[in-house]
Amino acid sequence: MTAAKARTRAGAPVASPMRFDLPGGALALLETSHDVPLVSFVVTLRCGSAVDPPGKAGLARIAMRMLRRGCEGFTSEKIDFRIDVLGAEMAVDTSHSSVAVHAQVIARNLEPFVGLVATMLSAPTFPADELERLKRESVAEIVEARDSDRVVAQKALQRTLFEGHPYSLSSGGTVPSVQNITREDVVAFYERYVVRRNIVIGIAGDVTAAKAPSIGERLLAGLREGEAAPDAVAEPTMRPGRRLLVVDKPERTQTQILVGTVGTSPHDDDHVPFVVSNAVFGGTFTSRLMKEIRSKRGWSYGASARAGVDRRRQSWVLWTFPAAEDSGPCLKLSIELMDAWVDGGVTPREIAFIQRYLVRSHAFDIDTASKRLHQGLDVECLSLPADYFSGWTDRVRAVTPESASAAVKNRLRTDDLLVVVVGTAAQVLEPLRSAVPRLSEVSVVPFDAE
Amino acid sequence: MSDPAATRHAWAAQANATAKHEHGTIHYEGAVAFGGETVHRYRLGNGLAVLVLVDASAPIVAYHTWFNVGSRHEHPGKTGLAHLFEHLMFGETEKLKAGVFDRKLEESGAETNAATWVDWTYYHELIPADRVRLAITLEAERMQHLVLREPQVASEKEVVANERRYRVDDDVEGLANELLYKTAFARHPYQWPTIGWMDDIKGFSPEDCVAFYQTYYAPNNATVVVVGDVKERALLTSIRDAYGAIPAQTIPAEDVTPEPPQVDERRLELHKPTASEKLLVAFKGPALGDADHATMTVLSEVLFGGRAARLYRSLVVEKELAIDVRGWVSTFRDPGLFECGATARGAHTVVEILPIFDDAFARVRADVVGEDELARAKARLELGSLQQLETVSGKAEQIGFFETVLGEPDHAFRRVEAYRRVTTSDLRRVARRYLVDGARTVLRVMPEPVMTTSSASAAAPP
Repeated sequence: MTAAKARTRAGAPVASPMRFDLPGGALALLETSHDVPLVSFVVTLRCGSAVDPPGKAGLARIAMRMLRRGCEGFTSEKIDFRIDVLGAEMAVDTSHSSVAVHAQVIARNLEPFVGLVATMLSAPTFPADELERLKRESVAEIVEARDSDRVVAQKALQRTLFEGHPYSLSSGGTVPSVQNITREDVVAFYERYVVRRNIVIGIAGDVTAAKAPSIGERLLAGLREGEAAPDAVAEPTMRPGRRLLVVDKPERTQTQILVGTVGTSPHDDDHVPFVVSNAVFGGTFTSRLMKEIRSKRGWSYGASARAGVDRRRQSWVLWTFPAAEDSGPCLKLSIELMDAWVDGGVTPREIAFIQRYLVRSHAFDIDTASKRLHQGLDVECLSLPADYFSGWTDRVRAVTPESASAAVKNRLRTDDLLVVVVGTAAQVLEPLRSAVPRLSEVSVVPFDAE
Repeated sequence: MSDPAATRHAWAAQANATAKHEHGTIHYEGAVAFGGETVHRYRLGNGLAVLVLVDASAPIVAYHTWFNVGSRHEHPGKTGLAHLFEHLMFGETEKLKAGVFDRKLEESGAETNAATWVDWTYYHELIPADRVRLAITLEAERMQHLVLREPQVASEKEVVANERRYRVDDDVEGLANELLYKTAFARHPYQWPTIGWMDDIKGFSPEDCVAFYQTYYAPNNATVVVVGDVKERALLTSIRDAYGAIPAQTIPAEDVTPEPPQVDERRLELHKPTASEKLLVAFKGPALGDADHATMTVLSEVLFGGRAARLYRSLVVEKELAIDVRGWVSTFRDPGLFECGATARGAHTVVEILPIFDDAFARVRADVVGEDELARAKARLELGSLQQLETVSGKAEQIGFFETVLGEPDHAFRRVEAYRRVTTSDLRRVARRYLVDGARTVLRVMPEPVMTTSSASAAAPP
């Protein structure tokens, strides 16, 4: 199936899930909806891959994936079968600031499924053979991910942009770092972080408010109180200069181009003006980037700019993917557009337009219980301001052209950029080099470098 | 107590008394249960079908327009036209300059996109409920008044060429899948990719696009699906006013050659830069409307669905020969494929994996599967079906897809019932019917050049 548009989406919005304090310092959030007989729950740790020890990147993800590889009374095989036969599914999602076990089940099987997950959480057996199996699986997944040029580009950007900072590490780890993880590491992670004070439970769907606390309590039964993980990650800084990193991959007919720098923090006074201005630049289908790169020139199927949100300042990234022969001109234009945006700001007309879009599209950010729940979880686990979502539309309305333009000028330095391009270097290196004025560094690495 | 159907009939008759166009009369065609909800079917005088499901759970509306045209309606040398045309539908109209369609929707907070596949093309808006009239007006405008000129067509051809590079030429799985269908089908249009061959994409003229538009973009070849927080009568009045003046067209009889039975095994290799070997095995499968389709879907789940499935367990967990396995019964109007795939792990090869596939196929032909395996597969499929109904967009997509391909807007629920009825002997019967060793297509993807970790090349100063 093919589609007319690459998805571009900007904005964010309101959430006010019901809150329950659970015994031992854990928190539960609830959003009910009885439209479909499904119940979702999320067991979220207040820490993520940023706590992975040196040389052990991927530990948080491996440790949480190990929960379903064996627990009291169940082998890995039995757990997999039991999850399926209950009409349920379970997956682990890891970011730098949190690890979440997502689960969903047909409502009639909620009770036995909660019992199974509770056993996995409180009585994992961490079989040594299963750990070795999971490590081999993870290594194979890391290698296979190199087939995706977009993933290769994103990893290279994150690794290089945040060099020396925990945000440089891939949450899934690297081949050597995963191989380096021991059972003792997994047990230590579990004992330190899978504790009540470090957990937020989210519940959404076909469940009543009266029943939710008992679900939360059952899930955490058997876990000790412990301590919440300290938040010791430093604020990242941007290395000066304009750098070009070409990730060399054979036989590419197009390139994946990322232009990145360190972006915004949700605690910045000018965070919302920054995000609003970024939506003008590259957050919608009619943004400046899409208009100039796709609509006018047909150079790329998509072009967008995204400002990541995390506890600390995350990356700001421009992304486009032109044909190899258009890569030089497309990169040149992208940087010129960025220069014009940072130096020249945005117009009152653009701001008025994007405010209408962001405020009116707010309805789609809260239309399901699951979306509302995840906003609540983000507030807790990313340490966002309490009214980050609930006050979002008011803050968007308050943005002026001046505040939006000032925010971008204040936060982005077009002299300090990292350009990452995945392509066939012999074909694209020189045109790319010529496309970026004032380059201070050019390097070429193979696509399988980590 | 009033009869809801009679009330709707009466309202339609009353509304027709003031209709401005004969094309724009409204006819109520009945209700269809959709789980615990109801889909009401209307039709305008010009043939436009309108399906409405009122869901006031959130103040939003999914507005879908499904056209009964896809890549099956194309011809060799003109492949990809349905998809290119879908792109062009976001362009200039007689009343709207280029870019205004999207700007108006974005300004209202709406999300809009479209998709094309072998049997259909659909356009969708997700829009705040108080703005639904905008979606109606814009969709009616581009159904009748699209402007197709050289600069726009030329630019959009470039965009589509880049989409093809992204999804196919630089994506080994996309390329392998394209080659699989090209090899498995010799006569039927399912042999060419919906995105089209690159040479065909580059060769389209505005005249090709105009002819396609005039042939297929007619109200009597479309279904509007509306799910969300709407007032049914006000919605229908707006639809009638917007679309009523559009005349019906004569839709040409379909010129599709049925695929002859495959009686040979077709083997081929693809050499590309990739991390590992990949295997695709495709048997000819049932059409979506065939009673065997649900049964084959259950069989696919037994073999491939989830970590406890037979082939996942064998190849990924126990023998560690593969990173993943997958199976899919194509959901096409005409008989398609039962696609089976695996990605080899590390230095392991397809030569090791294929015999394990074959053994699994032989076992389901020879023996009945366990009742516990059947229950597992059914539970997974029920979960998947419910997940597709969690949003108004999901409901609209299910209604529009099954209405367009099968004429059954409630088929999502019929399928769940069909899954429940499947027995272990049904699975063995379809395995014997479809998993025929001598009539399949086998594609092996091999890494080339050899992809090994190499040392970084020298950094070059600017």
